[in-house]
Amino acid sequence: MTFSEKMLKIDRRIIFLMIGLCTLLPLLYPVGLPIKTSSEVRGVYDHIESLPEGSVFLLSIDFDPASKPELYPQAIALLRHAFKKNLHVITMTLWVSGTGMADQLVTQVAKEMGKENGTDYTFLGWSPGGQAVIINMGQDLYSAYPSDYRGKPTKELPILEGVRSLKDVGYMVSLGAGRPGVEEWYVFGKDKYKFEMGGGCTGVMAPGLYPLLRSGQINGLIGGLRGAAEYENLIGQKGKAVAGMDAQSATHLAIIALVIMCNLFYFSLRQQKG
Amino acid sequence: MIFLRRQLPLLITLVTGLLFAAQYYVPHPASEQMLTSATKWLQIVGGFALILGVTSLFHQHAVKIRRQEAGWGYSLVLYVGMLGTIAVGLWTNGKESVEGTMTAFGWIYNYMMVPLQGTMFAILAFFIASAAYRSFRAKSREAAVLLVAAVIVMMGRVPLGEYLIPLSGDVSSWILNVLNSSVRRAILIGVSLGAVALSFKIIFGVERSYLGGGKE
Repeated sequence: MTFSEKMLKIDRRIIFLMIGLCTLLPLLYPVGLPIKTSSEVRGVYDHIESLPEGSVFLLSIDFDPASKPELYPQAIALLRHAFKKNLHVITMTLWVSGTGMADQLVTQVAKEMGKENGTDYTFLGWSPGGQAVIINMGQDLYSAYPSDYRGKPTKELPILEGVRSLKDVGYMVSLGAGRPGVEEWYVFGKDKYKFEMGGGCTGVMAPGLYPLLRSGQINGLIGGLRGAAEYENLIGQKGKAVAGMDAQSATHLAIIALVIMCNLFYFSLRQQKG
Repeated sequence: MIFLRRQLPLLITLVTGLLFAAQYYVPHPASEQMLTSATKWLQIVGGFALILGVTSLFHQHAVKIRRQEAGWGYSLVLYVGMLGTIAVGLWTNGKESVEGTMTAFGWIYNYMMVPLQGTMFAILAFFIASAAYRSFRAKSREAAVLLVAAVIVMMGRVPLGEYLIPLSGDVSSWILNVLNSSVRRAILIGVSLGAVALSFKIIFGVERSYLGGGKE
């Protein structure tokens, strides 16, 4: 067996170790390389920045713990920004397995920013039906969610005063890890009920949402951990996303190095075999 | 009986399909009220679908356990996990916390479901790296183009890549915004036209596979 053959059949545990170290070491010894802001992320930031105080901001936390590393920092950064701007924040989820996590997330950020449940923000929780919930909210929000997550009737919540349907929402962001997510919010929500919306998604999903972005169907897109890090930079509160960028940098470069190596060995083997 | 099995479902599909396709273009209050009621029904049906899904899952795994098929132990774990979570969930009224105190349901969620899902997702990075090493080879011209594009995008999406090759950020952005967007849009248009055609076939009873088989 030639060297190239041996290298092409390398024990996968070595690759696992390499990726493990590339993730762990930058987290222990951060470098803090500068992060450029993309126009996609700036689109969401600028729109929230332009909203007048008291505008209604709807955040749909459409992911579960599997996508927490990428989307949780996005949600934290968005909520911090919205609370800082004194917007009326309505939060919800279309993913039943994300309900508990979404509640903790909203409660934690609201507490940190000194906001009161029912007056400054609300978490509506989860309701079955997926896209049917979006249409139902567009028709009558109180019918889609008769009570919030804590069981208080939505009609009695001061924050929902004057908010009868999605038509009364100033800006909406869906942080989606799949379906239902950003696309469903556009197709069943924004298209019919005419509110402005942005999106957030995992890194692997982002390329699939670029057509919506380029056609103006969504006015901004926060993609993966990188997008979250950009948003953290924009609001001036660095968090887990910025901290994770060094690890992601090292892992990406490790994978690129592996791909280049495997191709070098592949071509050398092909040459040897004629 | 053939009327109940075949003709009635086809008739319901035809009427509701045409009605709701037309509803989108009619902003009359009666039409909007009809949509509000229908979506409320959809939400209720969605709730029942969840029960149906759980029942079907239970049935499928019960058969595996009873016959002691390969991997029946996993089915048993699923049974214990699901029954345990349902029991605890009912006991705590489905709440993860009450007045800031974590319930047993919250404990299961925070200390079992969250780490398990996180772990499943995290190990993907290791398998992707291993798979990339084994199969991402420039065996053809098309594969070489894909490989170069992937390397550029991976470089351009991280600060270290942009630091080492400053142009990679802009090139990566161009690939995503221009090449990727146009191709994705073409696929989307194709898929959407296909969906419209399939909808018409279902509404007008040409496509009937959703009715299932069974005796006539």
